[in-house]
Amino acid sequence: MKRSGPLLTLLAGLLLGLFLLTLNATTGTRPASASGGDSPGTKVSPSPTPSPPSSPTTSTPPPAPSGSPPPDADYAGRTDDDSSAVAVSLRDGKAIAYFCDGRDKESWLKGDVEDDDSMKLTGGNGGVLNGTLKDTRIRGTVEIGDQEYGFSAAKAVKPSGLYRATETVRDAEVDGGWIVLQDGRQVGILKRDGKPSPAPEIDPRTGAVTIDGERLTARPVNP
Amino acid sequence: MTVDPNAATQDFPSPRPAHGSPRAVRYLAPALVACAVAVGLGVYGKVHDPEGTAFNLAGFSSTGAVKSWLATAAFGFALVQLVSALMVYGRLPGPSWAGVLHRWSGRVAFLVAVPVAVHCLYALGYQTYEPRVLLHSLLGCFFFGVFSAKMLLLRTERLPGWLLPLVGGVVFAALTVVWLTSALWFFRTFGVTT
Repeated sequence: MKRSGPLLTLLAGLLLGLFLLTLNATTGTRPASASGGDSPGTKVSPSPTPSPPSSPTTSTPPPAPSGSPPPDADYAGRTDDDSSAVAVSLRDGKAIAYFCDGRDKESWLKGDVEDDDSMKLTGGNGGVLNGTLKDTRIRGTVEIGDQEYGFSAAKAVKPSGLYRATETVRDAEVDGGWIVLQDGRQVGILKRDGKPSPAPEIDPRTGAVTIDGERLTARPVNP
Repeated sequence: MTVDPNAATQDFPSPRPAHGSPRAVRYLAPALVACAVAVGLGVYGKVHDPEGTAFNLAGFSSTGAVKSWLATAAFGFALVQLVSALMVYGRLPGPSWAGVLHRWSGRVAFLVAVPVAVHCLYALGYQTYEPRVLLHSLLGCFFFGVFSAKMLLLRTERLPGWLLPLVGGVVFAALTVVWLTSALWFFRTFGVTT
């Protein structure tokens, strides 16, 4: 007779893995009300802090092959001249984008994603972003001021992505935007009462950032 | 699990007359399974589009913290594995139930590591963007492959006496590096948080 213990062990691990995987795949980012399996603990709930986009979207379906709105996802990349970073966040067919050179030029842009996965996003001061999502990349151009930048943004997975923090610190209205690129580098601008300056780095896992001695939390941006 | 009273003391799987399985096949099957598991996990991690997020356990601030603690628990049981294995092989004085301890601490370590791996593969994927991450991705897949091989080898009869300790040692070493490149890194970077 052969030992069956080791096989049972493997089988148990396999089943547990598959069980967790289906739980993950079926719950998406919705509050997971299912009770977790045996060993890892009994209660599961969605991560309270930064990881999941805290938007009330119903779910993040695994990349759907077809269908009208593109899958919810974040994209980040640099402009073709490497001077600035661009990040786009898609949720339910809506898009918000952030263009930032890390020194003094930035723009938030918003708009809808068309059925052909193209988008025209507009921001304050006449900023325009034209882009098209193809495969796992958004390519296009951003016009800021009188300059036009080509850009290419690849799919970004937490902790890379787009973050923002707005708060009042010592009577000043601070507004920070950060693009965390896939390689972990950050490009961000912090405005104090509208005056831009390079932003201090955030901790991309928690969103924590210290501004003028005060600890703030930058949150993932969703349209 | 029955214990063969005639079993030689240093053999964990009691040697029994060969079962007729050709010599090479006995090693080939575990080796092939190990390759299949390791490559399969790696390919899944590479091909599957990382979701960036998965559910979190209640009471923890982030999935990173959950995973770090689970991985640390697995590593703790792995240390028990090392000690109990030395007992089983008579290199350390130990109780008669050292074998039972070895089996069960191994099972627990494995089952605790599974959710961590599921999260890694589902939410983060196989990544190569820095040496630590590359090493972690590689050895994470390797660990589950070589662990499968170890489990299958336990069922194989008439192994050379050095084989299981060797494979077990490799499993332990792989888990150690996987832990060093993830949980320890996490605790050093973000502090020991829950």
